Amino acid sequence: MTRHLLTDFELMILLATMRAGDDAYGVVIAREIERTGGRNVVLGAVYAALERLERNRLVTSEVGDPTPARGGRAKRFFRITPTGIRAVKETRRALVALWTDIPELKGSGA
Amino acid sequence: MKDIQPPRLAMALLQRIAADNEPLVGDLLEEFGARQSRVWFWRQVLHVLLIGSLRNGREVRPLKLVEHPSALQARRPDDRFRVGPKPVNLSGSPIPGIGGLGLIALGTLVTVVSPQFWWVALVTILAGLLFGIVRVLLRRRQDPYRAGHGKVLAG
Repeated sequence: MTRHLLTDFELMILLATMRAGDDAYGVVIAREIERTGGRNVVLGAVYAALERLERNRLVTSEVGDPTPARGGRAKRFFRITPTGIRAVKETRRALVALWTDIPELKGSGA
Repeated sequence: MKDIQPPRLAMALLQRIAADNEPLVGDLLEEFGARQSRVWFWRQVLHVLLIGSLRNGREVRPLKLVEHPSALQARRPDDRFRVGPKPVNLSGSPIPGIGGLGLIALGTLVTVVSPQFWWVALVTILAGLLFGIVRVLLRRRQDPYRAGHGKVLAG
């Protein structure tokens, strides 16, 4: 089985996609990362990462109906796949393994 | 607060570079509607441009002023001999890979770095024109048909 270890941005995108649920499209995912991650997000970078994740079959997407509020342009909704969920868990496990037994990080509460 | 429109140039650029990514354009417009910040919009568009150029480094998409269907059809071997008007290249670029925007950037760079180059370019163009005119006049004089035709008309 191929192991998927994600970059920090990919991990944040996948987690934000899961948090957004059925309403996970670019704007919502970017806002979720900005709100929880405290960083400015470029929508183009979000889409580039999502396309990469989709190529690796970690997410799937489907295009919704066009809406007038967006100049008649459709939304593209993303959903994490079972492979994506497995990748998130593997990445978390790897990060936790790296995190443990580092004296400088003990007792920091993080 | 009065709603402002996204910058027209940024919007044109975005529609050019993200023409095949309608949801991204829609997302940017939606978020611009919420933020109402032209600076934010420009920053997003420039990032899309940067990401697109890094990803499609080999793809040549010169700035088109005219969309002509036969330009795409001509790429197919069976359509090479299609009868019809030829596509017109209005990007002003004879160099593959450098479109209209590339030439503008090149011109700006030359103006900043070495503006006196334009005098050399101007003199070269004028010399070329003069050379062409002289050659046409000489050929007219030496053309036997034209010379004979002139005699017939004169006679």
